[in-house]
Amino acid sequence: MSITMQLLTFMPFRNMKFFKIRNFFILILFQAVYLPSTLAEGNRDYMRETGKINVVVAVILVIFLGIVWYLVRLERKLTKLEHLTKDDQ
Amino acid sequence: MWWKTISVILLVYVLGAGLLVPLKSGIQRAEPAYARTKQELTIRFYGYNTLFSHPSAEPLRVWLYFNDLYSLAAQRIDPVNDTILEATFVMPRNLPEGKESVYLNALIDHPATGASLLPAAIELRQDSGMVAVQLDSAWSAHPVGQVHVQTGFSFPYQNVIYESIRNTYFHVPMWFVLLFLFSASVWYSIRYLRNPAPENDRKAAAYAETGLLFGALGLITGMIWANYTWGKPWSNDIKQLMTAVALLIYLAYFILRRSFDEYEKGARLAAVYNIFAFASLVPLLYIVPRMFASLHPGATGNPAFGSQDLDNTMRAVFYPAIIGWTLLGFWIADLRIRYQRLHDKAIDLD
Repeated sequence: MSITMQLLTFMPFRNMKFFKIRNFFILILFQAVYLPSTLAEGNRDYMRETGKINVVVAVILVIFLGIVWYLVRLERKLTKLEHLTKDDQ
Repeated sequence: MWWKTISVILLVYVLGAGLLVPLKSGIQRAEPAYARTKQELTIRFYGYNTLFSHPSAEPLRVWLYFNDLYSLAAQRIDPVNDTILEATFVMPRNLPEGKESVYLNALIDHPATGASLLPAAIELRQDSGMVAVQLDSAWSAHPVGQVHVQTGFSFPYQNVIYESIRNTYFHVPMWFVLLFLFSASVWYSIRYLRNPAPENDRKAAAYAETGLLFGALGLITGMIWANYTWGKPWSNDIKQLMTAVALLIYLAYFILRRSFDEYEKGARLAAVYNIFAFASLVPLLYIVPRMFASLHPGATGNPAFGSQDLDNTMRAVFYPAIIGWTLLGFWIADLRIRYQRLHDKAIDLD
């Protein structure tokens, strides 16, 4: 699956919903799954060469994105709460 | 607050040291993997992080050894480059202990990068024909002598795992964070049952939620690591299964919380459920995995680590990693609690 193919799967470009944060995360997740095969040329195994260091990179990225995902969720809840308290005043 | 600063400092140290400290040198493989007795054979060794062709005061030494008593020294050693070494052996006439075939371990001793070992590097088979009764003297002519030890800060080299040993500072601490957060959660659940203040319930829920986040991260990162060391992301390993069960039990905690219209009733039942969930977490993660074979290191006895799996260099990064990630987990949980406090105030619950 090439990167252009991945972009085509996210066609809701027209109504700008593409920039919804959830789509952005799904896109990154797709990248994480397919990037090794996209970068692989011939018989090269991107994840297994250079002493499998890219496995560590993938693990750190997943942890980072997981924590950011949680913080984004928390921020959205806070935004809702801010609107709620604004209405009261 | 001060502990948040400590968390950042520790995690910066863990990321830096965990990624930059080099691996010790090791032997990846030997070719060919088979030999017959009485054969003169040149074996090619493929090293990792080795400096075979670097000039050094003392000579390189290569052995194939069966055990402490029987070993063969290389007759000629030619480094092709830093990572490829060719060593020529003259195989003896017969095998120790009257065996038909033996597996020999390879040992390469380099003055600067120290000794590296490849277990069961080559299989030596008895050639057909007359077998001499007397053991060939070549087996004891050159015993493995004093070898060098690599000095300096470096992580152990292990075949198959290679650089991904660094995941010890990222994947493993997730489970420590989960345990600490779930412990805090059950602590506040017990406090809620004794004193039904919304603050206790908020804390119990927030710690359980962030604990679940770190559990999910631990499971996903474990699957990535497993894919490149065990061959597939999910191999129904006892630890994987039990962790999935434990996370599902905690997922049910949140479903339970939300299934009551009355806040106090839901919070009370959730607190009771949380105690049972924690009581099942301990056997699921720490007792059952010790009773079955596992792909995890130190499989029998200790589900996470054998004493050989962590050397002192790794400890110097691993323990700060546990503290750093745990403090980060409590930091995130703290944000979650503060949000909930404001939320409950806004809807006049508190």
